[in-house]
Amino acid sequence: MSTTLPDTLTPADPAAGTAQPVLALDLVPDPAVLPSLAELAEASEEAGLGALTLSDGPLHPIHAASYLAPLTSRIALLARTDAVHVEPFHLATQLMSLDHISHGRAGWLLRAETDPQAAAAVGRETLPAAARAREAGDVLTASRLVWDSWAEDAVVRDADRGLYLDASRLQYADFQGETFSVRGPAITPRSPQGLLPVLVADADRADVGDRVATELADGRALDVPLAPGVGAEELAAQITRALNTAATAPATEGAFAAVRLVRLVGTPADADPAALRALLTELVERLAVGATVAPPPAAGARLRDQLGLPVPAFHADPARRADRARTHDSASTPDSTRTPVKETA
Amino acid sequence: MTTAPFPTLATAELSAEAAALATGPEEHPLHPAHTPTGQLRLGVFFQGVNSSTIWRLPESGDQVAWESFEALIRTAERGKFAAFFLGEGLRLREHRGVPFELDVAGRPDAQTLLAALAAITERIGLVATQNTTYNDPVDLARRLQTLDLLSGGRAGWNVVTTDNAWTGENFRRGGYLDHADRYVHAEAFVQVAQQLWRGEQINHDGAHYTVRAQGALPRSAQGEPVLFQAGASPAGQDFAARTADVIFSPHGGLEAAAEFRRSIAERAVAAGRDANSVLILPGAEIVLAPTEAEAEEKIRWVRDLQIGPEQAIALLEQYWGRDLSGFDPDGPLPDVPPEVVESGVTRGSGFQFAKAEELTRTWREEAAAKGQSILEFAREKSGARRGSFSGSYDAVADRLTEYARLGAIDGLNITPWLIPSGLDDIVDHLIPRLQERGVYPEDYAGSTLRENLGLPPR
Repeated sequence: MSTTLPDTLTPADPAAGTAQPVLALDLVPDPAVLPSLAELAEASEEAGLGALTLSDGPLHPIHAASYLAPLTSRIALLARTDAVHVEPFHLATQLMSLDHISHGRAGWLLRAETDPQAAAAVGRETLPAAARAREAGDVLTASRLVWDSWAEDAVVRDADRGLYLDASRLQYADFQGETFSVRGPAITPRSPQGLLPVLVADADRADVGDRVATELADGRALDVPLAPGVGAEELAAQITRALNTAATAPATEGAFAAVRLVRLVGTPADADPAALRALLTELVERLAVGATVAPPPAAGARLRDQLGLPVPAFHADPARRADRARTHDSASTPDSTRTPVKETA
Repeated sequence: MTTAPFPTLATAELSAEAAALATGPEEHPLHPAHTPTGQLRLGVFFQGVNSSTIWRLPESGDQVAWESFEALIRTAERGKFAAFFLGEGLRLREHRGVPFELDVAGRPDAQTLLAALAAITERIGLVATQNTTYNDPVDLARRLQTLDLLSGGRAGWNVVTTDNAWTGENFRRGGYLDHADRYVHAEAFVQVAQQLWRGEQINHDGAHYTVRAQGALPRSAQGEPVLFQAGASPAGQDFAARTADVIFSPHGGLEAAAEFRRSIAERAVAAGRDANSVLILPGAEIVLAPTEAEAEEKIRWVRDLQIGPEQAIALLEQYWGRDLSGFDPDGPLPDVPPEVVESGVTRGSGFQFAKAEELTRTWREEAAAKGQSILEFAREKSGARRGSFSGSYDAVADRLTEYARLGAIDGLNITPWLIPSGLDDIVDHLIPRLQERGVYPEDYAGSTLRENLGLPPR
């Protein structure tokens, strides 16, 4: 069974954070969108949107988010991607790399893929719902342990002592899940947000199961359809209504999770960037009147800053300290630091 | 020489060494039948984890910051480099059971980073080192194809294998692969990836995995990603000769490079491909200065910064397999025997007791004969050295020109010893000299990596 999550790696308190969710637009990175992908992202940022979500399409969503990172400077970039049919260590590394590249603007909309083709592609059986949900939870927990395996000050660059790293500021992930384990530490230093915000979109709520959606994730992305030809006034009213409904809903399935994101879904592949910019600009202005959503992100804002969530500090766990082998004889352990052969004349 | 050099070399002034190689019948490795264009292409290899990147200088940049990668790739593109390479290591290196503290360590995921670099560059190729043992082929192929499409046909894949169970502790399968099977597995893996890129239906039932999938993405501007490979063993060379577009080689010396060219050409022909179908790029660390004397001094300076007293002791500890921290780096090599290294928990670099015993004894004798301390010995063994491609701007340009005209290599894959400014003198001083000598392109040949490497479409 899963290891117990350390206290500081538990998700955000539902009561924490800003009252207003961040406004986001969903894009599906399809080859047909590719020619206008950068323009759509720039239009969204200029209109004052807080985030883009890049959904799993034919193109890989983390790559698409990363591609947009240097083309934008304030808008957050969340990859909406599967947690089940993956190598957890790779996925965790890719997401924390996106956080480095975007200077802390990365997030994860966690999905649990139900398409049998996803299982067939990795040579695995299609999981029943309960096992799928447990797997998604394990992958999320393992990812957080990998993200939290380097302290902020692990890279010391101490020329006097000849030390680039301080191994006492690293720790193993030592995650043992139901179907896999991850040793760690990360092969990537701690990323700007420490732990990336992990949210579950309404579209994925049923697939990920109760535990991930309401206990493990940091919150909910409220999905609002972007109907063809809809005007800003009508869209603003829809968003306000949807948020009111979410706030007053009885404590039934899914209602425990705080709404962190309002996600406009259904952007057509042939969307015109100029028209989208006009619509979103007016929408942001209308929503600002009632402070319905968070204001446009400031320069340098991390996604956690936009969400009003603190950036968690390294949670040192003495039992997982990476330099623990120094305290006893480790001479029987081979090593992997052999210097590569240099070319010679 | 009595035998006339090849026609293309008639006007070139060759060194005695090169002239000796530039002779012989058609089957000779340096006959034009085997030697390509006479042009060099350069790659830059941002390793991110190694002992040769200097981190102690004030100008040593952050190894993980976006700004470091951005600065280096912009310099490389200014110098018309064909490709920007990123390394990969799927477990943090350890020394005596503790993460290795003395070298640069920690880097972003290669492909995630390259996808971002695609957005700020136009022509340079983007090559990710990716492991076939600890990836799922459909996932890896899809990500590479995404990178290829995002970059307009500039993606490349440096195919590497491992059988390392220690690395496997980070992955679902653990250490499942036998050493002897690693290329068999890699070849099947590459075939699945190629099927996916070509939009084919995949029904693969292999020894290690089962795949049912269907390619869903269009071809890129270059068709599909360029395949790089670095296997130096006979099995690795055969794998490269069958599947790769480009092979990295460890051979910088002219004669060794020529021999490697012949070996690859023969294996390619045996695999039913053209002799010149696999480009050869030796890895190189280049130290340049205006004069030879200044270059000599700079090489020593670089080497001393790469290998400090702590690194010298750590280097010996790897071979002795025991704690040597009590030994003086300025004293002689340790007079204690090595300890057994268990091969059952190998990380790809463990070795047997008998070999360690022999090696450490040889080293002790070698250092004693030269009167070297631990530090001096370690610097000579693993720091920057003279090599083929260090020296004055003009001398290195002349030497590379000779390599190009002989067709011993198709270019170099350069590891900068300083990030991000380590390419500046190469781009500012060496490349203009290579262009003057007619062995380096004045501009990019096209927009795709295949075009800029001179490879046929695939």
